[in-house]
Amino acid sequence: MVTLENVHKIYNEGTPQAFDALRSIDLHIDRGETVILSGVSGSGKSTLLSLIAALDKPSSGKIVVNGELISKLPDLHASAYRARQIGVVFQHFNLLEDLNVEENVIVPLVHAGLPLATILQMAQKSMRSAAIEHKAGQPVNRLSGGEKQRCAIARALVHDPELILCDEPTANLDRANSLKFIAMLEMLHGMGKTMIVATHDPLFEALSFVSRVIHMEDGEIVNSEQQ
Amino acid sequence: MNEILLNNEVIVYLLSETVLYLLLFIAFLSTAAILRRWNFDAFTSEQFTLENRSYLVMTIIFFVMMLKMLLLPYFIYTIDTLSDLIPGAMCGAGVIKANRYGNPLLTLKIVVLFLSGLWLSLNTIDLKAKNYPYIRVKSWLFMVIFLLLSAEYLLDLLYFTHIETTNPVSCCSVIFGQSGGANGLPLGLDIPKLLILFYLLFALTVLTIMTDFTVVSMFASLLFLIVSYYAVVYFFGTYIYELPTHKCPFCMLQDHYYYVGYLLWGFLLLGTFYALDSAVMQLFFNRSSKKLKRISLLFLSLFVLLCSTYVAVYYMKNGVLL
Repeated sequence: MVTLENVHKIYNEGTPQAFDALRSIDLHIDRGETVILSGVSGSGKSTLLSLIAALDKPSSGKIVVNGELISKLPDLHASAYRARQIGVVFQHFNLLEDLNVEENVIVPLVHAGLPLATILQMAQKSMRSAAIEHKAGQPVNRLSGGEKQRCAIARALVHDPELILCDEPTANLDRANSLKFIAMLEMLHGMGKTMIVATHDPLFEALSFVSRVIHMEDGEIVNSEQQ
Repeated sequence: MNEILLNNEVIVYLLSETVLYLLLFIAFLSTAAILRRWNFDAFTSEQFTLENRSYLVMTIIFFVMMLKMLLLPYFIYTIDTLSDLIPGAMCGAGVIKANRYGNPLLTLKIVVLFLSGLWLSLNTIDLKAKNYPYIRVKSWLFMVIFLLLSAEYLLDLLYFTHIETTNPVSCCSVIFGQSGGANGLPLGLDIPKLLILFYLLFALTVLTIMTDFTVVSMFASLLFLIVSYYAVVYFFGTYIYELPTHKCPFCMLQDHYYYVGYLLWGFLLLGTFYALDSAVMQLFFNRSSKKLKRISLLFLSLFVLLCSTYVAVYYMKNGVLL
């Protein structure tokens, strides 16, 4: 499903401020796996996720997702790839505060060229999966942190992506909401989704549905524990 | 300082050309690096840098070429305004002939316009693919265009710095020869034969575009462009001016004639360009585009319709032809 070969990422390349964010990353993740990327801030977890999501390009190396060579995708195609195959859940939710829940969930489908009825149907299904259907008409700025995160999950799921990337998804949640989020991930795992979660939350350490915990340090994979 | 170089339109034009040329020079250096070191199969830092840079460079070239297309009518407008400063010149025809650089410059501008349009089409199909299939072809094409643009920029400078405001130039009446009764048409053509050729070539161009006779349509549209130039100057133009002795491709660009020349020459150039573009895309890149053909047919038809309308309206108003 996801393969990285000798991936390097250097920020400010060729300048005195050059910084190696990722070094020689080799990684293979099978379809349906749930993988935790752990490590302190600055260890390269988010950079790795952004490369897999084609939000950024590596400095060198090969990234293949679902048979598609995404490390070389031109920008135009990178957007289409994300819209088709990737769902992303961010630490700060990245919701559009002036829109309501349903409108936020619909956003990834705006350019899909689908009939409105189909879009609304997909949004309903996604909000139901993320247990936020009852707040569909509520403006996002009136939601609690946990509800915002569920809205973000609904948005990530609406186009039925095969790969879900979560970047510190529980960093802004209390313990109760974090546990709810984890329960939701387990449900998604049951649906056969491939998930990569970057986190340093200890709650993720001993989960039964997690297949591997990968520890990162200074842009390198230092340890990969099979669960 | 030469009075011409103090003219507002000339200052704006030359400054724009200079800025665009500098941008293209930067793009030229990067394109040379792309041509030298590009290897899409490599996953090296150098190749990723080239891929990132290529996107930026192609965007710069795209932007500059679009602006260059807009600068062509502005150049025409500029030389038309200069006719007030040059003794003897009544319109752009005299100004363009004010020195030996004018005509080559105008011709080069039209050639560059066509090649730039081709590059833009190639860039569009290249960006639609995931693996930059035409990056080398479009980079080579850009190198050729850049050389022509360098010549054009040099001619621009030579042309505007060598216009004398003290020496009288010929007006369009003299240039296009009607005052002496001379026939300026090539190959011994007369007006009836020219008109038959004009409408026949239009029909041939339309038919070959519609029926996918690509090579023939290329030649037909090019020939139609040349014949149309003579037909407009020596026949249709006289109906625009409503004067049988007034034969000029430039006066119709002036406000007395409601700037119709921009529309007329614009339709002709765009129609011919899209005909050539669709043919080149089909012949060399195996991409048949009905959209390009339709646009070409639309512009060429509008051109012929506009030309013919002037004759028809004159006949209806006066009951005679010129």
